[in-house]
Amino acid sequence: MVAKRAQFQIQQMAFMIVAVVIFFVLVGMFFLVYQSRNLQGNYEQLQKDEAISSLSVLANIPELSCGSLCLDLDKVEVMANKDYSDFWALGSVKVYQVYPESSSIVKCPAPNCNYWEVYDSGQKNIKEYSTFVSVCRKKSEQGSVYDQCEIGKLVLGVEE
Amino acid sequence: MIKNKPQCYSRPSLGILRSQLSRPKRSQFNFTWLFAIIAGVIILILAIYGTTKIIETKRHQTDTETGKSLSILTNPMQAGWAEGRYNKITFRQETKINNLCNDFEFGRNDISVATSSGVGKEWIQAGGATSIHDKYIFSSSEQGKEYYIFSRAFEFPYKVSDLIFLSTKNYCFVNPSTKIQRDIEGMGVQNIEVINCSSNSVEVCFNSECDISVYGDETSGRVVKDDGDYEYVGNLLYGAIFADKEVYDCNVKRLLYRTGKIADVFIDVGRKREAREIGTNLVPHLILFQGLVMNSTSDDLISLQPLAKDIGLINDKEVAGVW
Repeated sequence: MVAKRAQFQIQQMAFMIVAVVIFFVLVGMFFLVYQSRNLQGNYEQLQKDEAISSLSVLANIPELSCGSLCLDLDKVEVMANKDYSDFWALGSVKVYQVYPESSSIVKCPAPNCNYWEVYDSGQKNIKEYSTFVSVCRKKSEQGSVYDQCEIGKLVLGVEE
Repeated sequence: MIKNKPQCYSRPSLGILRSQLSRPKRSQFNFTWLFAIIAGVIILILAIYGTTKIIETKRHQTDTETGKSLSILTNPMQAGWAEGRYNKITFRQETKINNLCNDFEFGRNDISVATSSGVGKEWIQAGGATSIHDKYIFSSSEQGKEYYIFSRAFEFPYKVSDLIFLSTKNYCFVNPSTKIQRDIEGMGVQNIEVINCSSNSVEVCFNSECDISVYGDETSGRVVKDDGDYEYVGNLLYGAIFADKEVYDCNVKRLLYRTGKIADVFIDVGRKREAREIGTNLVPHLILFQGLVMNSTSDDLISLQPLAKDIGLINDKEVAGVW
């Protein structure tokens, strides 16, 4: 009778311990799910922050720039044919001429083109961020050289 | 069970029978408590171990995020067309910023952060490194709560990039040239004193011997430190003062490679413009310069400087300079 009671108490305790362990495992799992969601959120936020702050940096790199937030189209065209894949920590770099307006987007090099693909990593899941810039080209007329500038858009793609 | 026992043994006395009856009760009490204590201790140990691991993972996560944030925070330091910028980063705890540099082609700075903690080990392994390909961060192995960051452009002869200097120590510049003094005072860099030196600051003496000795001026020269001699041109002077030899040499090699790549872009831009009758005399000079700088190191900086200067003068004289 006493042994049976002891056996019952041990069983009761064993069940209790199993219940406590399951409880902690469940709490731990909820915590991990919360943490991973939090981590994913932080990662996305940091990627976004980096992309936005990279826009002004990129518009000022000597390989592309002709002044503050100004892109030299000669440099842009040259850079489109250069291997800078180890340099860009980005998914893509594109430049569009947005004014004067055009009915269609024509990729350069082509007559009356208005879109330059400076770099494309080939990644599929890319989120794009953009900023307006001046796009300028040096012109020569009657012996004098001047900058002809239009309105353009610099578009950066970052991995989602 | 108890009823059968007397059949096997001689008849027990009343006292022995009582003690036999009470034995299972005591052992049941002891075993139950023993079991509960062992199980409790195991659960407690597992809980403490789990919590410690979770805290360590969380610290690693935070350190990794801090490293990434540091990369983002240094973006505005790339001054664009301004001469330079200054900022200060304050951490809640003592923090170590590790800067591993890779000089293959464009190279990169791998920045990782480790923060001290009052819970568990004071220092754990640094968080995941953030690779920075488009910046040149000059720093040394230091730890502190406040980090001072300032940037200066590197022009050789055209602008190559902004150099970012990261330090937590206080420095005192003794007898610098007027231009350097104006530079520092103009930017208001808090951890660099120029006239009144405090006792805990690292002394940087210009053309005399002390903790860090600079033999030269703002254009070029040599910095002598405990870990070796650093040749510099222009604003690389600050890199030589603030960075470790390994980081300095690596970043200079990266910068010179980028200088060559930019020359390559400018050569093509010059040719493109020539086709539109916007002539330039720079192309042959840039071809020569590109060939020389691409595989150069910090030891070649001073010997390359006259050629860079000449190319800069040619560009300035042109009606439509390439840069």
